[in-house]
Amino acid sequence: MSITAETAKAHAHDPAVLCCRAEGGITIEPANLEDPAIFDDLVDSGLLNLDGCLTIEEVLGAKLVKTCDSLCPLTADVVEGAKAPSAPAQEEAPAEEEVPAAPAAPAAPAPMTAGGMLKIHIGEGKDINLEIPVGALGGGAAAPAAPAVVAAAEAAAAPAEKAEEKVVRTLTRKHFKITEVKRGPETKIEGTTLYIREGIEAEVIDNQELVKDFHLEIITPDLYHTYSETIMDVQPIATKEGDDDIGTGVTRVLDGVVMMLTGVDEGGVQIGEFGSSEGYLDENIMWGRPGCPDKGEIFIKGNIVVQEKTNMERRGPMAAHTAFDIITQEIREAMKKLDESLVAETQELKQVRRPGKKKVVIVKEIMGQGAMHDNFILPVEPVGVLGARANVDLGNVPVCVSPLEVLDGCIHALTCIGPASKEMSRHYWREPLVLEALHDEEVDLCGVVFVGSPQINAEKFYVSKRVGHTVEMMDADGAFVTTEGFGNNHIDFASHIEQIGMRGVPVVGMSYCAVQGALVVGNKYMQYMVDNNKSESGIENEVLGCNTLCPEDAVRALAMLKTAMAGEDVKAAERKWNPNVKSTNVELIEAVYDRKIALEDNEQSLPMSQKRKEKYD
Amino acid sequence: MGNVQILLHQHVGAPCRAVVQAGDEVKKGTLIAAPTGLGANIFSSVYGKVTDITEDRIIIEPADEQPDEFVPIDVPEGASKLDMVKAAGIVGMGGAGFPTGVKLGINLAETEMGELDPEINPELPADFKLDCGYILINAAECEPGLEHNIRQIEEECDKVIRGVKYCMEMTKAEKAIFAIKKKNQKAVKILNEALKSEPAISMHLMPDIYPMGEERAVVRECLGVNLTTMQLPSAARSVVVNLETAARIAEAIDEKRPCITKNVTVRGKLNGGNEAHVFMDVPVGTSVGELIERAGGIDGVYGEIIMGGAFTGKSTELDAPITKTTGGIIVTMEFPDLHGARVGILVCACGGSEERMREIASKMNGNVVSVCRCKQAIENKPGAPLKCLRPGNCPGQTANSIQFRKDKCEYIIIGNCSDCSNTVMGSAPKMGLKVFHQTDHAMRTIGHALYRTLKVSKQVSQDIDF
Repeated sequence: MSITAETAKAHAHDPAVLCCRAEGGITIEPANLEDPAIFDDLVDSGLLNLDGCLTIEEVLGAKLVKTCDSLCPLTADVVEGAKAPSAPAQEEAPAEEEVPAAPAAPAAPAPMTAGGMLKIHIGEGKDINLEIPVGALGGGAAAPAAPAVVAAAEAAAAPAEKAEEKVVRTLTRKHFKITEVKRGPETKIEGTTLYIREGIEAEVIDNQELVKDFHLEIITPDLYHTYSETIMDVQPIATKEGDDDIGTGVTRVLDGVVMMLTGVDEGGVQIGEFGSSEGYLDENIMWGRPGCPDKGEIFIKGNIVVQEKTNMERRGPMAAHTAFDIITQEIREAMKKLDESLVAETQELKQVRRPGKKKVVIVKEIMGQGAMHDNFILPVEPVGVLGARANVDLGNVPVCVSPLEVLDGCIHALTCIGPASKEMSRHYWREPLVLEALHDEEVDLCGVVFVGSPQINAEKFYVSKRVGHTVEMMDADGAFVTTEGFGNNHIDFASHIEQIGMRGVPVVGMSYCAVQGALVVGNKYMQYMVDNNKSESGIENEVLGCNTLCPEDAVRALAMLKTAMAGEDVKAAERKWNPNVKSTNVELIEAVYDRKIALEDNEQSLPMSQKRKEKYD
Repeated sequence: MGNVQILLHQHVGAPCRAVVQAGDEVKKGTLIAAPTGLGANIFSSVYGKVTDITEDRIIIEPADEQPDEFVPIDVPEGASKLDMVKAAGIVGMGGAGFPTGVKLGINLAETEMGELDPEINPELPADFKLDCGYILINAAECEPGLEHNIRQIEEECDKVIRGVKYCMEMTKAEKAIFAIKKKNQKAVKILNEALKSEPAISMHLMPDIYPMGEERAVVRECLGVNLTTMQLPSAARSVVVNLETAARIAEAIDEKRPCITKNVTVRGKLNGGNEAHVFMDVPVGTSVGELIERAGGIDGVYGEIIMGGAFTGKSTELDAPITKTTGGIIVTMEFPDLHGARVGILVCACGGSEERMREIASKMNGNVVSVCRCKQAIENKPGAPLKCLRPGNCPGQTANSIQFRKDKCEYIIIGNCSDCSNTVMGSAPKMGLKVFHQTDHAMRTIGHALYRTLKVSKQVSQDIDF
């Protein structure tokens, strides 16, 4: 496709190739030139040979000496009056493509995917385009991360310029250890044994009209090889002390046990959309992900059957979650009575502000398309139901919360789709990016913004514009935008980044992309991308939590944002997803910060399931 | 002859309202329907009796005797020429059908130059102005295979020039330019001869490239001004009038003749060969089938019948009626059978709409899996017909080819102009895509070269060097 004068300027040092037949004698202008964004693909397929090709800045305004057809590289022998090349942008860095920024273009070759940064572009005005990208990670961070980080490190080492930190509020977590879960006549905790009242199942069923059946199972580690319907949620069991609000005061939490909701509809259809995690538990759970159970934990697993065909309606999953919370709530009541002497460990989380440091904000996109995609926001109890507002009912507009509210369970996730890339309720309880940013002494985390992902494009842009203004009035120096899932939600994900980016705030985007989740849209502000993929093949492999945001991703994202905020370059993404980009970046960060970054396992560490064998690996 | 069906909607604007009733006797020139909003009078094209009036048409059973006399248009003594054009119900006969009386109701002497978009007019100074108003006569006859416009220049040059002079008078245009393709050598010579005594009227020769007849392409070729898709020719102080329309204007003013006939080219898979049959003054409302019979009848099995040209026309049926805007009837050979193969369609402003492209894909038994749109095809309003930003000048199509390949298309069907088709051919076949043009079945039938690569220059010399 022909390019505009603006694009020509951005690609001044890229090869000049005719987009269409042009007749001898014409003066070459941008409208005669093909968009360099598609060259790689053309060169790959042997359709284009750029040897000896002049650059765009050299040929503009020059005369074409003979009629040439489309995709003809403009070489010295067909051009008269070419200009001398200017110094290529930066000479320092050895040849690598330096900067990114350049929006790239449409045309998405097949599987594109992830690299680190992204190239993409939205066509003028309306049509959008495509893209490609992907990002794997930090593609970028690579070279650039280094210098920036070094600088930062030096600064830190420098004298005592440790500006005083300000503790805004604290949250105390009292941990109670549970080693055994049994059924009994009443729900109570004795020592480290949790008893769940027998017969409580009937109340779960009666609570919601759409809940047609319910079974409770206690899954101990020796029972991990048990078949299960798709996992709808994993939740911490926690309660507030007294009248404390979420995100402040004291929270009691049980260690060694989690709530797990699973389900199907009456017709036996899994409550999932793009993939579902049904199968043997030990083959379908990525242990230790922020949103997943840890190996060794006991699952209080409730399997719900909802009314036929409500699995894909908002009311079905909502009813399941609401009914299941009856059990959790009864446990919470029991926890409130526990004697302080049973506290196994006390942990204090501090919300720290660091005036003078670069102010950053985390924007987390959560699902709000309706159907099964929703979240309960700010319940009274951690990951509870009572008191919460459904994201969809709030119109998906941005909701600002404190980092401690996130870590105290302010999101009850109704995420029953795309299991590998969706964030379970427990994910927020251990949200790695919030933790990393909160603890990083080089940045000042001002808060977290949740924004829903509506179904309709007009609504997507409605909310993303609100995000732009929200971040603008924070005077943030940098922002993260994270999302879960892939596909439709990438439209607003890209728009959030654009809205923030156009205000001059560098934005690091975090999403699962890799192969299957390659971005479908993009814009010129999507220069800093981190791919959350962990799967071997870069796919949604239906293993719970596999491709969600982990500490290793948070570390890379922070390094990248610091690099961007320092004005350093981040290298453009490679054209195709290349997992090596991530490893290179990790090594760089390890070298600069002198810290070891533990990389997570992926599905290859699990026993192979029949499903995976047949469908994926 | 068979029954005549006169559509109530043959023009841009609202349908007309019938002013006769079933059983009424009508003559050639009897007013039978009047506008209800933007529109133009509709007259009976035959002597006969109204047999039925349906929601969208008036059906007339013709009398056996059809004298040449007609009922003159009903205008007061001393009516202005513009009023006569309006009364005669003339609409743009190139196919668009915009009411001519409305179009010519402009004073070009006092019309200001519109604001030019510098992006598409890089070579013009920002304050560029045209010296006067212009009537541009569209004689490009750009749809391949049609010949009735050029035939009219050859046979009725005087009448056409009279009509042009009336247009100049009505709009206060000082000059007029005929836009005609240089390949029509005989017509060019005749016109050149006739214009020797008309200093205000000149001729601009155009290359044989599609779409030289697009209204804004005519403006660009004749005046050097590129209009945006939202601008009318008045922004270049001009009005574009189709050649046949000009002749009808002369008839309305000189003879008080209502607009009741149309010149039509009929050709294709017909008994006797694929040469063009030009029928002048076909009564509006005549059926497609009757015209085809007059041209020899269909030769065996056929693919479809196109009403209009191969690029912008639509498929039609034998019993459909000719309207004031029907220019061509093309009977095509059978379609190739793609056996359900994966097909991509490339929609642009120069060819069929997406709906028409899908129809062709379906007639070829293709499975449409991908739809791309030329970057220059602009939809001014949602649902409005596409307009090309720079008619005849390609913006590049390789990215579309990449998309089609990504969507695993085996074939693509394109409707592009000469230049864009050429670009598609620069990449698609190399990517393994087999290319059809939406006009292929018509071009093969009439023996015209297929639209693929471009071998001629977009520039032709203005010398009459033949």
